[in-house]
Amino acid sequence: MEDAHVAALLVRRCVAGDAAAWEEIVQRYHRRIYNLCYRFAGSADDAQDLTQEVFIRMYRTLNSYDVGRGAFMTWITTLTRNLLVDHFRKTKHDRLTDSLDATASDHEDAMPLGERIPDGGPAPDAGVQSRETKETVHQALQRLSPELREAVILRDLQDMDYREIATVLKVPEGTVKSRINRGRAELARLLQRTYRQVM
Amino acid sequence: MPGKEDIRMSCSEFDALLSQAIDGTLAGDRLSAFEAHGRVCQLCGPLLHEAEAGRSWLKSLADVAPPDELVTNILLRTSGVASTHRQVAGKAEPTSWVARIREWANVITSPVVAMARQPRFAMSFGMAFFTLSVTLSLAGVKLSDLRHMDLRPSAIRRSYYETSGRVVKYYENIRFVYEIESRVRQFKEAAAPAEQPSEQQNNNDRKNKTKNDTSGQPEQKQERNYSREGNQPVFAASLPVNRGPELARLWRAGSPEPTVVSVTTYRRFS
Repeated sequence: MEDAHVAALLVRRCVAGDAAAWEEIVQRYHRRIYNLCYRFAGSADDAQDLTQEVFIRMYRTLNSYDVGRGAFMTWITTLTRNLLVDHFRKTKHDRLTDSLDATASDHEDAMPLGERIPDGGPAPDAGVQSRETKETVHQALQRLSPELREAVILRDLQDMDYREIATVLKVPEGTVKSRINRGRAELARLLQRTYRQVM
Repeated sequence: MPGKEDIRMSCSEFDALLSQAIDGTLAGDRLSAFEAHGRVCQLCGPLLHEAEAGRSWLKSLADVAPPDELVTNILLRTSGVASTHRQVAGKAEPTSWVARIREWANVITSPVVAMARQPRFAMSFGMAFFTLSVTLSLAGVKLSDLRHMDLRPSAIRRSYYETSGRVVKYYENIRFVYEIESRVRQFKEAAAPAEQPSEQQNNNDRKNKTKNDTSGQPEQKQERNYSREGNQPVFAASLPVNRGPELARLWRAGSPEPTVVSVTTYRRFS
């Protein structure tokens, strides 16, 4: 059975009051939503809270989901994205404009992020697997503007196609492609700048 | 040249095809034109390289494992049930009616028991029990006597009156109370005769003072009140002339001091 059909069936059962169906939905989608929240919000704690909020909102509005209007995955991604935007607006004043040059910890004498990247690491385009490098990329991602960040996350981390992304972001496909390209290029520039400082 | 249009492709076309090129869905003449423009254009060429690098950076990011308790928390906050798997398994097992009742009772009592097990509630219950036991022991109530208690209304009423009478008698017979009361009585008796005349005198003084005190009144009224005095002594020398010699003779005959005649004047005041 296809994913969309399975999701539609689960939703129908869940709306009818089947608790097992709801648990199945949570089991199937919580990892994906958690990752989306984590990559956008940048913090594991925020991601956990936001994921719970997404499912609470989903549980309340599940009967409003119309199978004929789109895939369930697109629906929950839109739901998540709206919540993330709300969260972004709420935390706008509290957010620290963290720089790659700035210290990542509260200690004044801590090393800047750029200095913590290992010198003898492999080339960037070779695909670095080390944990520190992943953390660096993750932090660079947080420095992108929200529009570019959400576009590249949905495309390169969530593997959604352009049409689905356009539906979620409510912008034309051309704008989606443009944002993705600019987001990727901006991320590469940020990381290259960081590595250039190290070398 | 920066931004210079290639023969077969413009920068805007290049930008539009960039995503497809990176995704690997661009082919044929369009791919050739795209690559040619990328080689020539100083803006679009670096953009292609940066976009490819950025994509490979992003693809290097693996999925993050969510916390173990996330699903449980979500289920508790939404449906209120941690997991349905255990319940489904439980339904399949045949259970006796006693076990069902016990399970049903557990559902009701377990939250109460869990709450009572909290240290603050346990401490409160302990303090309440201690206070009650101390009060009962001070009041002389024995729990073993309670079983013999007659709980009929008439018996309870009789017990109440008997108890209250006993308490009053007990109170009055306490040596300390008795001594205090007798002392108070003695003080009252000792103070009563001395206080009576002095009180009376004080009252009279107060009355006279009030009567004589005319300082706050008009001058004419002060004078009138002054002359209203009842038994005022009048010296004979000060009497009118026609009666003066008669009274002087009386004084010279026997009295060492001028005779004082007490005259009561009656005036009508309008």
